[in-house]
Amino acid sequence: MNFKLTEEQELIRKNIREFCVKNVEPIAAEIDEKESHPVDLFKKLAEGGWMGIPIPTQYGGAGADYLTNAIVVEELSRACSSTGFTVSIHVGIACMLINLFGTEDQKKKYLVPLATGKHLGAFVLTEPGAGTDVMAATTTATKDGDAYVLNGTKTFISNGPIADTYLVFCWTDKAAGRKGMSSFIIPKGTPGLKPGEHFHKMGLRSSQTSEVVFKDCRLTKENLLGAEGAGMVNAGAAFDHGRVGIAAQGVGILQAALDESIKYSKERVQMGSPIARHQAISWMIADMATDLQAARFLTYYAAWLKDNKLPFTKDASMAKLFAAEKAMHHTTKAVQIHGGYGYIKGAKVERLMRDAKILEIYEGTSEAQRMVISGTVLR
Amino acid sequence: MPVVVACFKWVVDEAYIRRGAGGALDLSSVDYKIGEYDRNAIEEAARLRDAGGGGSVIGITVGAPDSAKGVKDGLSRGMDQAFFVSDPSFKDLEPSQTAAILAEVIRTRIPQYDLIACGEGSSDLYAQQVGPRLAELLGIPCVCFVQKLSLEGGKLVADRRVEDGVEVVEAPLPALVTVLPDINTPRIPGVKDTLMAGRKPVTTVKKEEIAGGFEGTLKTEAMTASSLERTGEKLAADAAGIARFVDSLRKSGVIR
Repeated sequence: MNFKLTEEQELIRKNIREFCVKNVEPIAAEIDEKESHPVDLFKKLAEGGWMGIPIPTQYGGAGADYLTNAIVVEELSRACSSTGFTVSIHVGIACMLINLFGTEDQKKKYLVPLATGKHLGAFVLTEPGAGTDVMAATTTATKDGDAYVLNGTKTFISNGPIADTYLVFCWTDKAAGRKGMSSFIIPKGTPGLKPGEHFHKMGLRSSQTSEVVFKDCRLTKENLLGAEGAGMVNAGAAFDHGRVGIAAQGVGILQAALDESIKYSKERVQMGSPIARHQAISWMIADMATDLQAARFLTYYAAWLKDNKLPFTKDASMAKLFAAEKAMHHTTKAVQIHGGYGYIKGAKVERLMRDAKILEIYEGTSEAQRMVISGTVLR
Repeated sequence: MPVVVACFKWVVDEAYIRRGAGGALDLSSVDYKIGEYDRNAIEEAARLRDAGGGGSVIGITVGAPDSAKGVKDGLSRGMDQAFFVSDPSFKDLEPSQTAAILAEVIRTRIPQYDLIACGEGSSDLYAQQVGPRLAELLGIPCVCFVQKLSLEGGKLVADRRVEDGVEVVEAPLPALVTVLPDINTPRIPGVKDTLMAGRKPVTTVKKEEIAGGFEGTLKTEAMTASSLERTGEKLAADAAGIARFVDSLRKSGVIR
């Protein structure tokens, strides 16, 4: 048993923290307010190699482990949840899926620009009528000789308006059930692929979200990711990896809520003493610190399982469920500790509370995580 | 193609120091870092190497064995190789001893170099002694308070910050400089820089291998947090309040 990070992991955490204090914290409130994607920041992230941490070096990544990636997503999210998430979905789903299931040619063509941060990836699965119920999807890829023709509408697609590479899931044979779904790599600009307008959201506002519409979008076999019919398996891997990233995002938000609550409660004086000395407040902070630690351990454990090539589906779901619900709970408490000041735009805790809610919804709702977990433990 | 030696110290990161009971400093959960000015020294060494179209940066640090992470940190910041002079007793070295050890290692193990770069002072003691003492022991010129630096034709040209302005000086190489923070902005190492650092050569030098056999002589008797006492006196902004304010300053001896 060893809870100690490696020297490299510790140094990388300090470096990304310093990067965030210098480059992310100062713009986080502004990009939230303006709902803008910080292009210059992502150039800097690319330069530092932060956009492809667990991808092998021959494909443009850093060749580090998935735990290191989780630590980086955590620190980015501590400063700006939108930024942490954009990196998380790009690395954890777009890069990881091509690395896992792509051909050598696909890796050279698509993975290298993604892992080096020149391109941004998107995971295109959800549809207006198909959220938790993936089987209810209606987007189809119909065979036309050697080609596939895609038609359908996807929604709530993170990085939708700005992605260079879309990983799209649709039916190639609806009658075949779970074995009838396939996944495709589709580059931006492909005729028939049309990203929609950015949705205005409650939180995570600088993360760009839109519909992605396919109208007679013609693809060849080279666009197919993995075998025809492997879509569900690929989507499962996407969720496993992505959920560790969302859990890490929750840990970052929890850490930020704790940072802000400690700082404010030591400064704010009521009834003659800092409110941190009032038990009502200090106990909230004790609970926050405890749940933060538990969420972090669950998250790092899931990443560690992945790095050690052990099954981690259930553990990724547990980490994601716990970190998401605790982030929501404790950001609400952090606003409570700040009182009226925490309810005003510009207070970091106000943004944290809005950003936390989505953790319970995307990449599988909390209810979906409980389905995965109970399905495993009751087996 | 200059060979630059960068000296650095692995020190307590002050962000982690807490105030314990009775004003004592609680160092029980501190993390460590390369001293702030030493980061500037490493960055400047790397910059001069790159500006000179090659050469190398040789890092050197003296410290306790748990400073090994600091060596890796230094290597991720642009150093090509490092000497790690290590012994558990080295955490209590005083600056003259550190300078003597550095001089001994440089003399015996680095046959040729153009420049030695040090931070103006360490982030913990800030005695500002190691650099000048090291230059003296090696018999090379020393330029302190450097805020701009270039190497050309066997000499260095440096802008030194002095009280009334900037002094531009030249010195023949090899020489030693101690640098101020405004000389550059140290890089934040990327992921690959950190991962590659572990593959760069590190030579560990033990105490027994150094002539002189240094035993740390620095003893820390006590360390307490500075505190700011508030009197809690409330003063109005009118004439009477100002008179009371002046009066209380006089009574407490702040003004006479």
